[in-house]
Amino acid sequence: MKKKILSVILATAVACGTLVGCGGSSAAAPAAPATEEKADAPAADAAEPAEVSDNTGEKFYIYSWNTELQDRLEYVFEVYPELKDQVVYVNVGDDKVYQEKIDGLLQAPDTEEYPDMIAFEAAYIMKYTNSDYTLPITDLGLSEADLSNMYPYTIDIAKDKRNGSIKGLSWQSCPGAFMYRTDLAEKYLGVKSPEEMQAKIDTWDKFIDTAKELKKASNDATRILSSNGDVSNVFYSNKTQPWVDDNATFHMDDAMVEYMEISKTLEAEDLTQKTTTWTDAWNAGPSTDEVLGYFGCTWFLHWTIKSNCGGEKVGEGTYGLWNMCQGPAPYYWGGTWLGATKDCSSKEVAGKIMKALCTDTDLMKKMSEETLDYVNNKAAMQALSDEGKGSYEFLGGQDFISAFLPLAEKVDVSWMSAYDQKVNDLLGTQIEQYQLGAKDLDTAIADFKASVKEQYPNITVE
Amino acid sequence: MNKKHKTVEYDRYGYLFIAPFFIVFGIFQLWPFIYTIGLAFCESYTDTMFNVEVGPYFNGLANFKTVIFSDAGKLFDTYTFDALWNTFVMWFAGFVPQILLALLLAAWFTDTRVKLRGQGAYKMLVFMPNIITAATISVLFYKLFDFPAGPVNQLLTGAGMDSVRFFSNTFSCRGLIAFINFWMWYGNTMIILTAGILGINPSLFEAARVDGASSKHIFFNITLPLLKPIMLFTLVNSAIGGMQMYDIPKLLTASGYGDPDFTTRTITMYIRDLAFTGSKQLGKSSAVSLVLFVVTLIMSLILFYIMRDKDEIAEQKAIKARKKLERSKN
Repeated sequence: MKKKILSVILATAVACGTLVGCGGSSAAAPAAPATEEKADAPAADAAEPAEVSDNTGEKFYIYSWNTELQDRLEYVFEVYPELKDQVVYVNVGDDKVYQEKIDGLLQAPDTEEYPDMIAFEAAYIMKYTNSDYTLPITDLGLSEADLSNMYPYTIDIAKDKRNGSIKGLSWQSCPGAFMYRTDLAEKYLGVKSPEEMQAKIDTWDKFIDTAKELKKASNDATRILSSNGDVSNVFYSNKTQPWVDDNATFHMDDAMVEYMEISKTLEAEDLTQKTTTWTDAWNAGPSTDEVLGYFGCTWFLHWTIKSNCGGEKVGEGTYGLWNMCQGPAPYYWGGTWLGATKDCSSKEVAGKIMKALCTDTDLMKKMSEETLDYVNNKAAMQALSDEGKGSYEFLGGQDFISAFLPLAEKVDVSWMSAYDQKVNDLLGTQIEQYQLGAKDLDTAIADFKASVKEQYPNITVE
Repeated sequence: MNKKHKTVEYDRYGYLFIAPFFIVFGIFQLWPFIYTIGLAFCESYTDTMFNVEVGPYFNGLANFKTVIFSDAGKLFDTYTFDALWNTFVMWFAGFVPQILLALLLAAWFTDTRVKLRGQGAYKMLVFMPNIITAATISVLFYKLFDFPAGPVNQLLTGAGMDSVRFFSNTFSCRGLIAFINFWMWYGNTMIILTAGILGINPSLFEAARVDGASSKHIFFNITLPLLKPIMLFTLVNSAIGGMQMYDIPKLLTASGYGDPDFTTRTITMYIRDLAFTGSKQLGKSSAVSLVLFVVTLIMSLILFYIMRDKDEIAEQKAIKARKKLERSKN
């Protein structure tokens, strides 16, 4: 008898243990009815496009990798307060695992957490817009006419290669510039205005000469850049062709060879601080006198340089001692796009959010004014510029909006492909070998091509 | 029938108790293993341009061919075997100092003549690194050896030397990974070896000491030979664990892809890169997984062969021979 009691106790213990193990899934169990609803929802939407279908009360999941979009959504909620309760914002947190997370979820349209809307970065947006995982904006109640104020490149990026339909919209535009310290430039280079600075660095040869001049004049105290990799985005944007063209053929662009050479020169001539982008040492740069400048774009100005400058008003740290000019070539860096997914639970909600966030001039103007984000709306930015809202204390009074306005017009994205992020990473590995002298140029390029071929066996590598 | 009911059968309850293990094993280990074998013979990847999954289509041994032969047809000249080699080098460089130091410490802690004071505290200190997660240690070392102004480089520049790019140099990067492995695991190995030494009959040590043997003699002639099975156990364990090295090299370098130039990319990192980045080559990465499986299997078999109890085998043989003899007599 005793044994029986013992066995019952043990069995209960084991059963409990098993159930605890299943905790995760049992918690998700109540989700089942909601999924059934979801199955019906898209059908209803398809029958009666936009505006008509009622709010079913079902949650609308938006995925991103940081809180930026979450903050921007607040502006949408001001216009559509009813969405506030419906939208669930999922911050994946780590942009390295973001794509893996999204890819997994897209395969499982029946899960409660299936993303209804996803944010993309430029480096991989094409992977999604060229696929059936995303919906054209015309299905969401938006028309091409709504996009008239957008910078054309933001639309080009999100076009499905197969049929030209637009599948993603961005609320921001991210032209890049060279941002530099006015006091150091004047002290060592005798430069007094952005125009003079631009004249000193308008080609790569001049850029290198200026870097040498600065190093000598400052007696090694100041370098032109913090990391050798800081030039990368400028070069990526100036490729004459995408890494992989429409015929699935890989091209090593001349601009990339030039990039390798410039990196090598920067390293060999000791022209940078030799940090690595985004590390602590690199972030510390703006608050010291060791770095003249950074290649940065609209968001970089506010959230990277300004937040690392060591002060919050003029006189503190290097606040107010910055200026910007175009640099050796126009380029753009980053930006976030929004796309609705194939099995999106409510096209109406998706359409509302996109329309408000990415096309509503008044809302975007307000958003730009309050957050300093450079929005993807020419009319809004022009209006802000006309109102003189661009004068920026951090830049010593320089008008950042009118500085970015012409740069945003120059952005060209014909060089982009769905392969960019991974291929750029692989190139980075070989550039490091080349600039440190471990490999010569030909070996580095050959090894680079081999590693691309290995990652993408179905493309032709010349 | 009635007879059966009289004897109480507990056997079937036993099956119930062990069932959870087999269910979990079946779902999470056996099935994925079988599925991996299947995938290894298939073409399965994602076409990046349109994000379309291709396959799985059966393509025979094509995956294994690309895994084992280079494009030029050279045997073993592939990323797979580079990764295997990296893994082996980093494991071995960490294991040798690990077993030597662990042996030394174990010998000290168990020596009845030395009688170290505060042994518990030492043992705890030595074991400590093993408690911290590998991820934390990786990040710690990444910060320590940061270029150009991490603490170690600050020391170097303070001493008038140039700062060093520790993570851009194959030797130092592998060395750091090997060192972390060594540092994390020597405490663990020491505990196992201490247990092994304590398992040796103390009368052997006493007898040797009475006969006037020095500590050195005792260590080399009694402790070491009798510790051999435990040492081999440690070796097998460490080798199999070492082949699966992942977290430290993955987190120690900036890119996470085995800087510099993939020379610290372990075989498991490579499998993951193949399966989840680029064109997500599930088929090829399954084939690489099987290569890892075979290598681990061969290593285990060799080690088990060395580890076998020779005396017992000899005894079994003798018994068999005797039986044969008896039978032939009859």
